[in-house]
Amino acid sequence: MQFRLEKRREPSKVMVYATPVAAVVLTMVVGAIIFSLIGYDGVGAVREIFLTPLTNSFKWQDLGVKAAPLIIIGVGLSISYRANVWNIGAEGQYIIGGLAATWVALATHGMTGWWILPTMFVAGMLGGAAYASIPALLKTRLNVNEILTSLMLTYASVQLIYYLVRAPWKDPMGMGFPQTRIFSEAARLPTLIPGTIVHLGVPIAIVVALIAWFIMSRSVFGYRMRVVGAAPHAARYGGFSENKTIWLALLVSGGLAGMAGMLEVAGPFQRMVPGFPTNYGFTAIIVAFLGRLNPLGVIFAGIVMAITFVGGEVAQTTIGLSSSATGVFQAMMLFFLLAGDILIRYRIKRVVPAAEVRA
Amino acid sequence: MSPELIIAIIVTVVGASTPILIAALGELVVERSGVLNLGVEGMMLVGAITAFVVVFLTGNHYLAILLAAAAGLGTSLIFGFLTLSLSANQTATGLALTIFGTGFSALAGQGYSARPVTLLGPLFPSELATHPIWRVLFGYSALVYFALIMVVAIWWFLKKTRAGLILRAVGENDLSAHSIGYSVIGVRYLAVMFGGAMAGIAGACFPLLLTPQWAERMTAGRGWIAVALVVFASWRPFRLLAGAYLFGLVMTMELYAKAGGGPLSVVPSELWAALPYLATVAVLVLISIRRDASTNAPACLGKPFLPSN
Amino acid sequence: MPYRLELTGITKRFPGVLANDNVTFAVKPGEIHALLGENGAGKSTLVKMIYGIMQPDAGEIRWDGQPVVVPNPKAARKLGIGMVFQHFSLFDALTVLENIALGMDAKIPSRELEARIREIMGRYGLLLDPHRTVATLSVGERQRIEIVRALLLDPKLLIMDEPTSVLTPQEVEQLFDVLRKLAAQGCSILYISHKLHEIKALCDTATILRGGKLVDTCDPRQETSRSLAEKMIGAGLKDIVRGEGRTLGLPKLVVSRLSTVKTGHFDVPVDNVSFTVRAGEIFGIAGVAGNGQNALLDAMSGEVRGGDKDAITLDGFPLGLLDTTGRRKRGLCAVPEERNGHAAVGDFTLSDNSVLTARDRLGMVMMGLISSGAARTYTGKVIADFAVKALGPGSTAGSLSGGNLQKYIMGREILQKPSVLVVSQPTWGVDAGAAAAIHQALVDLAAAGSAIVVISQDLDELRALCDTLAVINMGRLSPARPTEEMSVEEIGLLMGGVHGATEVHDAVPA
Repeated sequence: MQFRLEKRREPSKVMVYATPVAAVVLTMVVGAIIFSLIGYDGVGAVREIFLTPLTNSFKWQDLGVKAAPLIIIGVGLSISYRANVWNIGAEGQYIIGGLAATWVALATHGMTGWWILPTMFVAGMLGGAAYASIPALLKTRLNVNEILTSLMLTYASVQLIYYLVRAPWKDPMGMGFPQTRIFSEAARLPTLIPGTIVHLGVPIAIVVALIAWFIMSRSVFGYRMRVVGAAPHAARYGGFSENKTIWLALLVSGGLAGMAGMLEVAGPFQRMVPGFPTNYGFTAIIVAFLGRLNPLGVIFAGIVMAITFVGGEVAQTTIGLSSSATGVFQAMMLFFLLAGDILIRYRIKRVVPAAEVRA
Repeated sequence: MSPELIIAIIVTVVGASTPILIAALGELVVERSGVLNLGVEGMMLVGAITAFVVVFLTGNHYLAILLAAAAGLGTSLIFGFLTLSLSANQTATGLALTIFGTGFSALAGQGYSARPVTLLGPLFPSELATHPIWRVLFGYSALVYFALIMVVAIWWFLKKTRAGLILRAVGENDLSAHSIGYSVIGVRYLAVMFGGAMAGIAGACFPLLLTPQWAERMTAGRGWIAVALVVFASWRPFRLLAGAYLFGLVMTMELYAKAGGGPLSVVPSELWAALPYLATVAVLVLISIRRDASTNAPACLGKPFLPSN
Repeated sequence: MPYRLELTGITKRFPGVLANDNVTFAVKPGEIHALLGENGAGKSTLVKMIYGIMQPDAGEIRWDGQPVVVPNPKAARKLGIGMVFQHFSLFDALTVLENIALGMDAKIPSRELEARIREIMGRYGLLLDPHRTVATLSVGERQRIEIVRALLLDPKLLIMDEPTSVLTPQEVEQLFDVLRKLAAQGCSILYISHKLHEIKALCDTATILRGGKLVDTCDPRQETSRSLAEKMIGAGLKDIVRGEGRTLGLPKLVVSRLSTVKTGHFDVPVDNVSFTVRAGEIFGIAGVAGNGQNALLDAMSGEVRGGDKDAITLDGFPLGLLDTTGRRKRGLCAVPEERNGHAAVGDFTLSDNSVLTARDRLGMVMMGLISSGAARTYTGKVIADFAVKALGPGSTAGSLSGGNLQKYIMGREILQKPSVLVVSQPTWGVDAGAAAAIHQALVDLAAAGSAIVVISQDLDELRALCDTLAVINMGRLSPARPTEEMSVEEIGLLMGGVHGATEVHDAVPA
C-alpha cells in the first residue's frame, strides 16, 4: 500500500487550526518515546513539562509572567512574518528596549511620579523600533538580507549589556557585581494581584494581541501585510509599496519586542543584569509559527510555550532533567508543525497499485 | 611587531577561520542547489557535542571528526525531509533546526562542561615545522588542510564536472531540470546532506581545534556568519576562502585584546567581542553596494519545488 | 510499415478532472501530425505521458509496433523521442553549450559536443553561438537551442509543444522549413497547437481533442479553418457584436515620450513611446514577447513611475507622477499579463482580491478599515455578470481555472467603469468561450466611451478586436494605423523589426 499527496482545491481551514494542536500532542507522545529510548524518564518528563504547570495552581502566576513577553513579541513577529519580513532579531530589539527603559529608570532614580513608567514604556518601544530600523534601512536601501542583519545585531546587543553593566551603569553599592542598581519604586511595574508576581505586563499582552488581531483582520494595514507577504508583485499592482511595508513590519515587531523588554526589566528583573537576555526573542519565533501568525493563535501558543518553560524548571527540580530539554521539546513542536503544514494544501490519499485495478 | 608574533597571528587566524570556512563551503553547495538551510548553527552544535563526547570517551580525534560529520548529516536530514519531501518553508525550518541543535547539544552535553580533552595536533611531524616560516605552511592540524582542499575540490566540482553542472542547473531552474528528467529532490537531498556533514565537521573544530572543552552554544553564532559569508562570496569558493580568513583576523584581534596589553585594549573588550557580528553586517552592506552581487545568486534559492503531478 | 507511435485507450485522471479519456491515435514515420485543441483540452498531459514526465492511468503506448512503458524522459530519449517545450526548459545563467550538455544523457566531451552542435546547426540552418549565456538570447534563439538539443539525439519522433506562440510570422516560416526538412528525412513530428492556419499549412494529419476526449482525426488540408475550429470548440463560433455606426470621440488617453529605466538584468525598457487613444477606441499593441510589453504595462499602471508628469495624461490631467492608487482614482485601471501572483493573489479569496484594486473606486475602505460586506457584494456582482465559475466570493483565486480567473479579473476592472483600461494578454491561455466573453466585454466598455489599450502577442485577437494597431519592438512603438490598413505581413515585419534582421547577421555562422 502506498500513499500519495493530492492537492486540495481549497486550502483546508480545519488543518490550519488542527495542525498546531496536533503538533503539541505529537510532541508529547513522540517526546515521551524518544526520551525514554535515550535513557530518561520520558513519561515523567512529558508529565512534568506539559501537565504539572497546568494542574499545579501555584504555577499559574509563573505561566502568566512567562507568557506575557512571549505573546507580545510573538504578536509583533507574526505581523512581520505575514509580510514575509524575517525579523529574527527580536531578542536584540528586546534587549535594546530593556536598556532604553533602564536608561530612563537610572536617569530618574530617586524621583517619584506617575510619568516615569509611561516614559520607560515609550522609551522601550522606541529603543526596540530604532534597533529594528537598522535592518529595515539596510533591506530597503541596499537589499541586505534582514535575517542576517537582525540576528548579528542581537549578538552585538548582548555585548552592549555586558559593557554597560560592567562599566558606566554599574551599581556603586553592588559589591562588584556587574549589574545596575535596583530601580526606584516609581520605575517598577506594579503587581496586579497582591501576593503574586503577576504584573501589569500580563493584561497588556492580552490587550496587545486583541488589538493586533483586530487590525490584522479588518484594516488596510493588515491587508497590506498579508498581500505583500502572499504576493509581492500583486501588492505593488494593488498600490502597496514593498519598502514601506518592510519598514512597518520591522518597526512594529521591533517596537513590540522593545515593549516586552521594558516590561521585563521593570517587572520581574527591576534592574539590568547580564542575564537579562532570556531567549524570549527566539522562543517567540516558535510562538509566532505555532500561533499560525494570527494574534489570537499567538495567545494560545504563548501559553503553551510558557508551560514548557515553567514545566522545564519543574522537571529540573523533580526529576533532574536539564532545562535544555525544554528547547528540544520546543524545537520538536516546531518540526511537527512545519511538517503538518503540507496538510493544509494537500490531502493524503491511499494509492491502489495499478495491478490491483486491473485484477 | 616581531616576526614570531606575526607568525603566531597568522597561525591563529588560520585556525579561527577554519570552522567558518568548512561550514560555509557546505552551505555554498546547498545554496547552489537552490536550498537555503539556515540551520548551519544548529548542525554545527550537534557536530561539536558529538566530536567532544567521542574524543572524551575514545581519545580518537579522527573518529570524532567522522562521527561529527555523520551527526551533522543526520541532523540535516530532518531539514531535508521537512523542506524537500514535505515542502515546508525553508526559512522557518532552518530556524527550527538551529533551535533544535542548540537544545539537543545542551541536553547531550550536560555533565560534560569543564571536562578537558586534548586538541588535535598538527598533521605533519614537528621537525617539518621547526622554523617559523615552515610553521606557517606545515604547522596545522588535518582539519585546516581539509578545509583548503575542499575549497579547490568544490570549485572543481562546480566548474568542471557534469554532476556540478547538474547541481547548478537544479538551483538555477528546478522546473526545467525536472522536465529534462533530473531528480530535483534527489540532487537537493544530496546537497543538503553534504552541507550537514560539513557543518558537523565545522562544529567538531570547536572542541578539537580551538578550545579543548565543551560549553553550551560554543559556536557563538559562527554558523550564521558562515551563512553570511556565502552571500559575501557571491557563491564562489575562492572568495569564500578570502572572506573566512578576513573573519579569522577579526576574531583573532578579539583574542589578543582580551589577553590584555597592547594598543588593542584601549577599546572595551565587549566591543571586540561584538566586532565579528558588526563586521558581518558591514560586509553584507559592502557587498550589496556592488550591484552585480545578487545577480550571481541561484535563481531558485529558498523556493520550494512543487512539481505539478 | 508499422506506425512510429500508437496510443490506445490512454486515460489520465487528476483530482476532479479527466485530463485524457480513452485517447487513441497513431503517427506514421515521417508524418507531421497535429494535436489540436483548446487550452485545457488535454494536449499537454498527453504528450507528457509520451515523453515519460507522467504515467497514464490506463491505456497502451506502442513504439515501432512494440508495447512500451516510458518511465521517465531519459527512457523516452533512449527510444528516440525528442521534445521542445512550450515553456522552455532552459537555464538562463548557463551557456548554450552547458544547456545542451544537460539535455544529453551520455557524457560527451565539450569539444566534441560543440562540433556536433555546429554540424546540426549547419545542416538545418539554425544559427547560434554555443558560448553565449542563454539570458542574453532572444526568444527565437532560445527555441533554437531546444531544437538543436532535441536533434542531437537523432530523434525518430519530435514533439513540439505550442512552438510558435512566441515567434514572429517570419520566424514561424523558418521553423516550418526546418520541420519539413526533418520530416522528409523520416522523422515524425507531433505538432501541438491551437492555431488553425499553421496546422493547415504544415501538417499531414490532425488529431483533435476536446475536454480530454478525442473528437476526430482528419486531414487538415481538406478542412476549412472554420470547420476545424468548430470541431475544436464543439459549438458554433460567436462573433463579436459591435454597435452600429460607432464614431470615436475626443482623445482620452495621451501618452507622450514615455520612457522607462532598465531595472533588471534582462529587462527591456520602453523607449520614447507616444500614442493617443480616443474615447470609444480599442488600441492594440502587437509584438513578440519580451520587447518591452511588461515595462509598458508597469509604466501605464503606475507600478513603475517615471519623472515626467505629462508622459501620461487622461482627459488632459497629468497622471505621470501618480502611483497605482492615484491613477485608479482618476479612472485608469490596468490588468497585467500574469494572472496568479500579479493581477490576483492565489491564496486570497475573490472577495479579498476585489479589495486589491477596487477598494478606493468603490468605497470599500472607511477610516482605514475594510468593509468586507462591500467587497463581498461587489465580488458577487462580478461573478454573476461575468459568469465566473466559482463557488462564491469566498473561493480562493487559486482554485479557479485560468479562464475563470481571467474572467473574474477582467470583470473586477471593467465593472469599476474605468475611463481608461490597459490590458495585457487578455485571453492568453483562456478557452474560446471565456475569450469570446472577455472580447465582448471590452467592446462594450469601449462602446460606453472608455479608451482601451490591448497589449497582445495574438495577432488574430488584435485584428478582430482593435480599431487601431501599433507594434512594439525592442521597447519602441511603431506609428499607429487603422487595423484594416495593415496586412499580416506588414505587422510581422514590424514585429521582427530591425532587431530580427540583425540577429541573423550577428550570430556566428555554423
